[in-house]
Amino acid sequence: MNGFGGTILRINLETGEIKRTPTPEKFAREWMGARGFVAKTIYDEVPRDADPLGPENILIMAPGVLTGTFAPAGSKIGFGCISPATNGHADSNMGGHLGAEMKYAGYDMVVFERISPEPAYLYIDDDTIEIRSAGDYWGMGSLDLEKRMKDDLGEDFQIATIGPAGENGVVYSCITHDFGRQAGRCGVGAVMGSKKLKAIAIRGTKSIPVHDLPALTKSTYDIIQRTKTHPLMEPWQKYGTALFVGWSNEHGCFPSRNFQTTYHEGWEGISGEKLAEEILVTHKACFGCWINCGKYSRARIPGKPDIYVEGPEYETIALCGGSCGMTNIHDVAYANYLCDNLGLDTMSGGNTVGFAMECYEKGIITKDDLEGHELRWGNIDDFENLVRMIADRRGIGEVLSYGTKGAAERLGRGTLAFAHQAKGMEFSGYDTRWYSAQLLSYCTSDIGAHHNRSWAITADIEIGQDTPEGKAEVVIYLQHIRPLFDTWCCCRLFWGEVDVTAEEHVDTIGYLTGWDVTFEECMQISEKIWNLTRSHYLERNGGPGRQFDVAPARQLEEKVPSGPAKGQRVGVENFEFMLDDYYHNRGWDKNGHPTREVLEILGLPHVADNLEKVGLLGEPFVDGVPKVRGKRLKPKAM
Amino acid sequence: MIIYLRSGGKLHDLLKPDVDQYTRRVETHEGATLVEILGELGIPLVMVAFAFVDGKVRKLDYVPTDGDVITIQSPVAGG
Ligand code: SF4
Repeated sequence: MNGFGGTILRINLETGEIKRTPTPEKFAREWMGARGFVAKTIYDEVPRDADPLGPENILIMAPGVLTGTFAPAGSKIGFGCISPATNGHADSNMGGHLGAEMKYAGYDMVVFERISPEPAYLYIDDDTIEIRSAGDYWGMGSLDLEKRMKDDLGEDFQIATIGPAGENGVVYSCITHDFGRQAGRCGVGAVMGSKKLKAIAIRGTKSIPVHDLPALTKSTYDIIQRTKTHPLMEPWQKYGTALFVGWSNEHGCFPSRNFQTTYHEGWEGISGEKLAEEILVTHKACFGCWINCGKYSRARIPGKPDIYVEGPEYETIALCGGSCGMTNIHDVAYANYLCDNLGLDTMSGGNTVGFAMECYEKGIITKDDLEGHELRWGNIDDFENLVRMIADRRGIGEVLSYGTKGAAERLGRGTLAFAHQAKGMEFSGYDTRWYSAQLLSYCTSDIGAHHNRSWAITADIEIGQDTPEGKAEVVIYLQHIRPLFDTWCCCRLFWGEVDVTAEEHVDTIGYLTGWDVTFEECMQISEKIWNLTRSHYLERNGGPGRQFDVAPARQLEEKVPSGPAKGQRVGVENFEFMLDDYYHNRGWDKNGHPTREVLEILGLPHVADNLEKVGLLGEPFVDGVPKVRGKRLKPKAM
Repeated sequence: MIIYLRSGGKLHDLLKPDVDQYTRRVETHEGATLVEILGELGIPLVMVAFAFVDGKVRKLDYVPTDGDVITIQSPVAGG
């Protein structure tokens, strides 16, 4: 089949059985890769009562249709499972070179089943597939292990690893690759750890068959020529995402001290400019990328060893930095390194430490809980002590290993009000009290709060920061287009920043596969995946669905105390209005349950049957569901 | 004096390029800040995260000089 590796692998870690089956073209066309493959496979295969960290959950690793090809930065690969953080569908995407290598070895999806009796790693060298002992590797840090495995196996293997946090089941553990690229969200690293799978090593030397190589070559050449001179290329290459720390502060959406306020005093010390001046060593790119937004840095802190780390990028600066009260870029880079090596998502990890710091400030967590340490805002030693306790699940680290929601449920005393999460996954690095569409995006997201499902901050500005009206349709559109890049598996920055259109990516898919595919069809696939993951969430967690789409009380009720957004809050009434509007525009009923009509339009009648059996199918719309679900705010698709 | 403003992405339509696909020629007076210039062009300041001149990041209080080529960037999400 053109455009794909051609084989799906199933690996039973308990018995060691390895099954190879050809990738069905119908499956590839209907689900397109990564996020789509994950959604379909876990819906069909994982029992609804399976424990996310038990043997019945599966872990999937899948690149997408564009991975490893001439598409601009076809660098991505998805990992998926049932999330231990949300108890729903999880897919988490990473860049680097692993996805391309996997397709060059000939594989479109690996499904890991059951639990290995001993620590193991997967070794793939083209057609040679082995489950090898990882006894010597167990306990090692993610970054340390990648280096060790490169030494052991050879530089040309691409390696993915988990750290101690993943081994110990911290629900926001990540999978790391390329010394700093992470499938960071949803706790995919914890599921990998629960299977006693410490690492994956792949070398692939084959090629991907292409339908129309001259057309693919020409279109890519044209895109390269055009984007090389794009004015925004240079700032991205020099600074990466860290450059937006200043803007976020000046416009009141930067999380400071666990989202207590939205302007961080001292942000200049952790800005992109500071990163470039003080710690930047070199730039770094994923496979097939000529933006190279990755920044490789060195942190120097008196009394600690110098460390090298990829980052910190915006989200890490916001959550390990601002939300933990830091004002020194060396400290943020060091925090980034600690999380990476321990195998913790810097976003949920930083968010959870910030939450714990507020608990400490309020006397809810004390020195006794911290093995005699303190937990002061902006203190890197205190940060280090706590993340090590979390990764080991020692003392209060055990409570915090469940994330902010799980910790708040265990700590009580009103802490849920300032736990910044949705469905059990922590907010990205944007406060939403002046940006209500972003709050709606977080709370309705199928995987929990994540800006890559829908980043609506500029939509808020364009529609109006003070109104809840007109936001829902745009959020729905963004929830279809942004995760489409995690389905195709190319980097969305080429679309968002240097004007490679989504339609051009669709043309690339056509040249690659020979499919007569349209942008509208791709958007419908994305909507189908969204409805499937929502239905799956309901089937696992019950109803009404509305009870899960909830916002932290701080975002709804507490006014921002300082900075440009001073006095702002979303308000319960506005939020409920947006939620009603959102459900209606999705073709879901007032409980947030998909209707049979919308599921049938999307080719999911069996899902409607399943929801009906458990009493969670949406009430039908008297006048039919909206014909177009989601609204493109601007012709340029942003 | 003449300066050249360049952008793409979300700012493309607001900038209305006239020199090439990304560039707009702007006639302005000595001493005007970018805030004033962008204001006169009807570009909402909130949509401009920063300016980039000669490889350096500038805030919007930057005062351009004749012939400056200035890239303006809208806010975007982290990775
Ligand atoms: S722009 Fe950044 S994240 Fe995207 S492919 Fe390039 S280096 Fe990777």
